[in-house]
Amino acid sequence: MSEGSLRVVDSVQGKQHDKTIKGLLRQLVNGSPEQQAIEAGEIDAIIDYSGRNVILFPAARDALRLPAAGESTHEPVANNLLAALTQQEYQRLAPYLESVTLASGTVLHEPGEPIRFVYFPVDCLISLLPMVTGGRTVEVGLVGFDGMVGTSLALGVNVSSLRARVQIGGRAFRVSQARFTSALQDSQTLQHELNLYIYTELAASRQTALCRTLHRIEERVASRLLMTSARVRSDQFFVTQESLACVLGVRRESITQAAGALQRRRLITYSRGNLRILNRQGLEAASCHCYGRLDNLSHRA
Amino acid sequence: MSARRGKPGNTIDGPTTVAVLRLYIAGDAPNSVQAVVNIEAICRDCLNGAYDLEIIDVLEYPERAMAAGILVTPTLTKVYPLPAAQVVGNLSDRPRVLLAIGTRSEEQ
Repeated sequence: MSEGSLRVVDSVQGKQHDKTIKGLLRQLVNGSPEQQAIEAGEIDAIIDYSGRNVILFPAARDALRLPAAGESTHEPVANNLLAALTQQEYQRLAPYLESVTLASGTVLHEPGEPIRFVYFPVDCLISLLPMVTGGRTVEVGLVGFDGMVGTSLALGVNVSSLRARVQIGGRAFRVSQARFTSALQDSQTLQHELNLYIYTELAASRQTALCRTLHRIEERVASRLLMTSARVRSDQFFVTQESLACVLGVRRESITQAAGALQRRRLITYSRGNLRILNRQGLEAASCHCYGRLDNLSHRA
Repeated sequence: MSARRGKPGNTIDGPTTVAVLRLYIAGDAPNSVQAVVNIEAICRDCLNGAYDLEIIDVLEYPERAMAAGILVTPTLTKVYPLPAAQVVGNLSDRPRVLLAIGTRSEEQ
């Protein structure tokens, strides 16, 4: 996971970036392998230790299709709801968006408590968990870069009905309840996008209820891993057996057996929480296909 | 992306010396893509499966590059066997890469 304080500079056309690159090049030892490779055009990026940046060279930036300074309508936002806003709407909200790094296990909302902040995940994953007496729970929703935590505000309810817990740590944007409510009143796009997202959440929740009743644990584990992978945009992620057992509402031993079976079929590797999908198509075939249905739903939305 | 290739199991299976390599790249930028293609071909052709190659995307994991003292990408580092070595660039100079990896033919 990238550190929050590190960033990729996506343009080297501005004077400031030119100066940064020239300064960095001056620091390289004359005749060093780095300098020779730069002269041969074999380098894509240079790392600026003092600024804690990765600075792309122009050809690399073009290849990666990152916008140059002044080209973008607003800075690229890696959350679907925020990215859907018009430039004007985004500019109004941007000063109040706070970039935060959320650690795995952090509880963002508790049932019955007022919502102070809403969260737009970038590369983290949030589980939505209703609570029952005795602390047992089961996941009813999963929020990644496609959505937002705190949707009840859009329905006029500023108290959470669920526990929102960070399943996989990472970055997110958060905004206060008051600012969000005000932005929602001002932005038709945000209202429309949130309506669609809430509809998707509802449908996902119904599908999950069906899945839990009808499908085998191994199929459900496969589906859950595919959903996680899609939302963290990676074939590799960290997930413990305890957390999987908790979110799927099954015993840990059942997860051990299911993960073992998927490993023996060479669909995944799993060691000490480090999970890697080896064969995506195979895992899809092994899943209960709830993953595919939900994915189609969110695309249609 | 942080992807691992090769057969790390060889470290405990037999006497073969496994080259532990790390390639730092910048996403799908041209030299990075070229470096991945080149190192995979070199490993396939010359290391006979006795390698553990990890590809680290500095756009995703910049802190790993900084921890390793990497200045530019692509950079290939040989972590094991010692001595450690580095090759900078798109790895199209195969003899230079083999020298850094320290294949038997290049060792003194």
